[in-house]
Amino acid sequence: MNTPKVSTVKSVGLAILLASVAVAASASDRDQAKRIYDRIAGVPPSEATLDEMTALVAAERPLDAALIAVEAPSFYNVTLKNMAVPWTNRDQTVFAPLNDYVATFIGMVRDNVNFTTALSADLTYTVSGVTPAASATSNAHYEAAEANAVNLFEALTPGLQSSIQGIPADATAGFITSRAASEAFFVDGTNRAMFRFTLMNHLCRDMEQVLDTSLPPDRIRQDVSRSPGGDSRIFLNNCIGCHSGMDPFAQAFAHYDFDNGSAEAPGTMRLVYNAAVVHPKYFNNDTNFPPGYITTNADWENRWRVGQNSLLGWGATPGSGTGAKSMGAELANSDAFAQCQVEKVFKTVCFRAPGAIADPTQVTADRDKVRELVTNFKANGYRLKQVFAETAVHCMGEE
Amino acid sequence: MNAMQSKVIRWFSAATAVAILAGCSSGGAPTVVNPITEAPPVNNYIGPAAANADVQAFRLNLWDNIKANNRCGSCHGAGGQTPMFARNDDVNLAYQAANTIVNLTQPDQSRMVAKVAGGHNCWLQSPSACGDTLTVWIRNWAGSSATGGTQIQLQAPVIREVGGSKSFPASSALFAESSLYELVRTATTANCVRCHSSNSAVQQQPFFAEGPLAPATPTEEAIETAYAAIKSKINLDNPATSRLVLRLRDEFHNCWGNAGCGINADTMQAAVQEFADLIPISNVPPGLLISKGLTLYDGTVAAGGNRYEAATIAKYEFKTGMGGIAYDTSGHEPALSLTLSGDVTWVGGWGINIKAGGKAQGSASASKKLADLIKSTGEFTIEAWVNNANVAQEDAYIVSYSAGTDFRNATLAQQMYQYEGYTRSDRTNGNGTPPLQTRAADMDAQAALQHVVMTFSPVEGRRIYVNGMYTGDADARGGGSLADWDDTFALVLGNETSSDRQWEGVMRMVAIHNRALTPTQILQNFDAGVGEKYFMLFNVSHLLPEVPQAYIMLEATQLDSYGLQFTKPTFISLAPNVTVPNVPIAGLRIGVNGGELRAGQAYVPLNTAVTAANYTAGAGQELSRVGTVAAIDKNIVEDVFFLSFERIGALSHDPDDPPEPTLPPPADLEPESDVGLRTFDEINATLSQITRVPMINARVRDTYTLVKQALPSIEKFGAFGPAQQTALAQLAMQYCNVMVDDNGLRASFFGSLDGSGTGAAVFGTSASPNTANRNLLITALMTKAVGAGMDDQVTEAQIRAELLTGFYDPAHLPPDPQAEEYFTPGLVNRLVDGPTGNNAAGGRTVMKAACGAVLGSGATLIQ
Repeated sequence: MNTPKVSTVKSVGLAILLASVAVAASASDRDQAKRIYDRIAGVPPSEATLDEMTALVAAERPLDAALIAVEAPSFYNVTLKNMAVPWTNRDQTVFAPLNDYVATFIGMVRDNVNFTTALSADLTYTVSGVTPAASATSNAHYEAAEANAVNLFEALTPGLQSSIQGIPADATAGFITSRAASEAFFVDGTNRAMFRFTLMNHLCRDMEQVLDTSLPPDRIRQDVSRSPGGDSRIFLNNCIGCHSGMDPFAQAFAHYDFDNGSAEAPGTMRLVYNAAVVHPKYFNNDTNFPPGYITTNADWENRWRVGQNSLLGWGATPGSGTGAKSMGAELANSDAFAQCQVEKVFKTVCFRAPGAIADPTQVTADRDKVRELVTNFKANGYRLKQVFAETAVHCMGEE
Repeated sequence: MNAMQSKVIRWFSAATAVAILAGCSSGGAPTVVNPITEAPPVNNYIGPAAANADVQAFRLNLWDNIKANNRCGSCHGAGGQTPMFARNDDVNLAYQAANTIVNLTQPDQSRMVAKVAGGHNCWLQSPSACGDTLTVWIRNWAGSSATGGTQIQLQAPVIREVGGSKSFPASSALFAESSLYELVRTATTANCVRCHSSNSAVQQQPFFAEGPLAPATPTEEAIETAYAAIKSKINLDNPATSRLVLRLRDEFHNCWGNAGCGINADTMQAAVQEFADLIPISNVPPGLLISKGLTLYDGTVAAGGNRYEAATIAKYEFKTGMGGIAYDTSGHEPALSLTLSGDVTWVGGWGINIKAGGKAQGSASASKKLADLIKSTGEFTIEAWVNNANVAQEDAYIVSYSAGTDFRNATLAQQMYQYEGYTRSDRTNGNGTPPLQTRAADMDAQAALQHVVMTFSPVEGRRIYVNGMYTGDADARGGGSLADWDDTFALVLGNETSSDRQWEGVMRMVAIHNRALTPTQILQNFDAGVGEKYFMLFNVSHLLPEVPQAYIMLEATQLDSYGLQFTKPTFISLAPNVTVPNVPIAGLRIGVNGGELRAGQAYVPLNTAVTAANYTAGAGQELSRVGTVAAIDKNIVEDVFFLSFERIGALSHDPDDPPEPTLPPPADLEPESDVGLRTFDEINATLSQITRVPMINARVRDTYTLVKQALPSIEKFGAFGPAQQTALAQLAMQYCNVMVDDNGLRASFFGSLDGSGTGAAVFGTSASPNTANRNLLITALMTKAVGAGMDDQVTEAQIRAELLTGFYDPAHLPPDPQAEEYFTPGLVNRLVDGPTGNNAAGGRTVMKAACGAVLGSGATLIQ
């Protein structure tokens, strides 16, 4: 099917939807206005809103039209929530409850908080008027808000994460030390999951995409066998590629754990931070390779500032430090982080990856547009709301 | 005729027989008869009694074992060759002679051991197995005086210049095209392919002739297998010393044709030479600050810690490295040697790699000693250094003394992340069940080299230790008696005797003791480690004129067939009374055969200094405690390693900047639709907004909870399925239900259209429609749910057709004569012409149905 009108698609019936199709729609000003609103808010606009936005589009002020849409409550209650929920669990499912991670993301967008603080701030949004209150040991506060369909656009209130989580302010690291992320990624294991999922969710890269076997393996912990199954080639060609960069990063989390207890003794179900000791999980399976790296503190180092991963575009942060806060800032000040946020918005609003369009002559322009969006994002104080508006204009369809 | 002569003759005869056989079309390797491991009896000793306790210890532990006619006694007996340490006429004189060739402090350093291990008339196929067995006997004689852990005397290695050698290219392309590969695959000119290929009926590792008979084209996989296997059989720098050549020239191994082994060897050498000529010599880049070179075996052997072996009754160290037998070197007669079968290959640095179909099994008769000796003590220990191939294998028997899956004396097994121990006792059944399992959550079993021990004592029963530590899993059945052990079972490694409990992985050592080792003894054996350890001394004197005999020392051990483990780089001077000045050292890299390692350079970040304060005479100064792995390049014997430095002493060298990374061009992506579906929450919010029914209304919330996960979770069209449409229809209908049932909401949505009364009363019939009410219905739906004035949205005409006037199948539009057959009347007409038309609440039913049809359609679903 080439380029039928969307109206035709809708009228012919839903069976046609079963086929994966590439549709490039043309649209009137009103259609464009509606699409801007639909994509941002997730729901159709009211007649009055649509009229107002249509007028702005007709006046060649589509960005102003989009800026109306980003003030729609459902943008926060629906679009942003469902965009962030998969970041907060290992299954990456969108069918997970609202939690502090998601609420903080929504609040930061609403309040135009500089997004480079997302992985380092002492910040958590709670929902006013909802009981029980937010707690370090339970997600009930957010689940109650969701069950009662509380309007997050109005009810989200910023607060200190350190107060809610009961950890020192300098131990907070934005999303990383949120209760939801802690429960999902600091639970059991070796705390590498937190790094991997943060990388996936906020630098849009899984470990395979940052694999670099040329880096020194001196910071790889003892639990990584140097001869898995009796074949050291596997280590030298694969394991080393991720662990040489990941392990010195994940050392930043040496003092964190999520206390989920055990089958015999239920835990407190909260993030536990102890600056005095390296958590024992850093010594799991320490006899797998005894001369491996032994963690003694939370000093992290970004080994990816050299080699192929220097292409991630590291910022002015120092490249090494102590603890999760400075490490989060290191990640969030990279070009890859900014690029990733824009790409996530792009996919949320345009329903496709940059460049994945039917018209081959527009592919380069599409990618250039993303570069422009990234540039604007950085130049305008890392405000995601603006990115949504600009992206929706880009994908509002043709005249 | 002495043993040596008879051996030479036997070899010669065998070679002749092989040569004759090789001429036949059947080919194949000669069958090697298993050696007799139990010494034939010697006449009872009638000489003078042992003069003292040490002579008696010599007699019992060593002399009794070696005086036999097919062992040392054959030549070194009374009146034979000196030293006559195996003489049977006077044990005291034999003792005196033996003392000249043993080292009771370090038994493995004995002259007797070195001689036999070096190939001197070993009574087994494997000289190293004889050497190890002799070591055990001498150690037993020495008793507590043998320590094995004495101070290591570091020896200055030979100086080797780095570079100027050839390395195998990473790609097998050159080899694939070489005449060498063709030669080994040609049955008429070389016999290699008859055995050294997995296609062969007799399948003899290594498979360096893998692939079809030449000139057929081999697969990529076959080429890679052959290339990997042939590397260790080739000396690129000196083809004449290649194992492929020596095996023919000196050992007459399956020569072909009638030309003779010498000519065959020349042919093979020429082929190796031709291949080697294709490979350029690799040289160290000029300007690099490098140490002198060193092979692993140039290093000083580290004597390692002592193992506790007082009760060892069977032991396998897998040192042979070739052939089909894993020798029992416990020194406990009779030797329970194991036959390797199926896919079992030798691993560099001592070990065997057992893959699917492989196992190592002893005979039931030789295994009998286990039952006899263990029943006599009522306790035992199975000890193994293993590297599990993965943590997914289940019912994988590592060490088993059994007779199939239903009968066993004892088994140590892997069950994914758990280890299991089975033991037959009076507290368990004849199959050793229930097994003792380590806790799954502890994930004790790893795909890494591990020291795994199962002990059994009459009091505690089974206990499992991993890497020297008790796992803490108590045996609920407790101890008991082993009196029911069956002495007809067989010892098998890597499988069950019935070959249906495969364990895959690398086995570096297995020992069986007829005592339950104590935790201290187990820790001692874990600390002793496995495999050989060397101290490699890299000479850096030429870089540091201020320090005489300066070296960087690395501890090295062969990790597996593919890598060396280096640990603890240490700066040390072998000169006595040296005063070490401040020596900065930074950016240390390991190189091999003229090039720096591509991966595993753990010491690049090193930036330290040797100082007089931190330097200890004799021990040096450790520069780093971490270890790393270096890939073996050619083979472990020939690889010359070296170190390079960015800075050492007064010298420095800036490494070349790595090439600037470039962004790969973005991948071409499949075009995706720029319109999509509303997702579950969006649909819910959309329906709520259109109908004004709050999302927390109990009826819609229940329906939403029910269908939520059946609604679209992503926007992509391609992911849309019938279940999602059904879910959408349910939810839309529920919202419409609630809305129409609520007077306020209904009035807000439909205005003056109240809908009370029958369907026909409100909307008329198809023959006589109530146009006014029908228009109210359509207008409300268009305004509230669809929206007007858009090109991309459903039109009012289309809604009218769907709900009122009906529509034709798009494939059978008029004037198609069949058009009327494919005509669907409008929804309202279908309802009012049916039972709804006369139903008292039919009017609102029609409103709900029309509302549900529109809200559950693409009009709201697509954005």
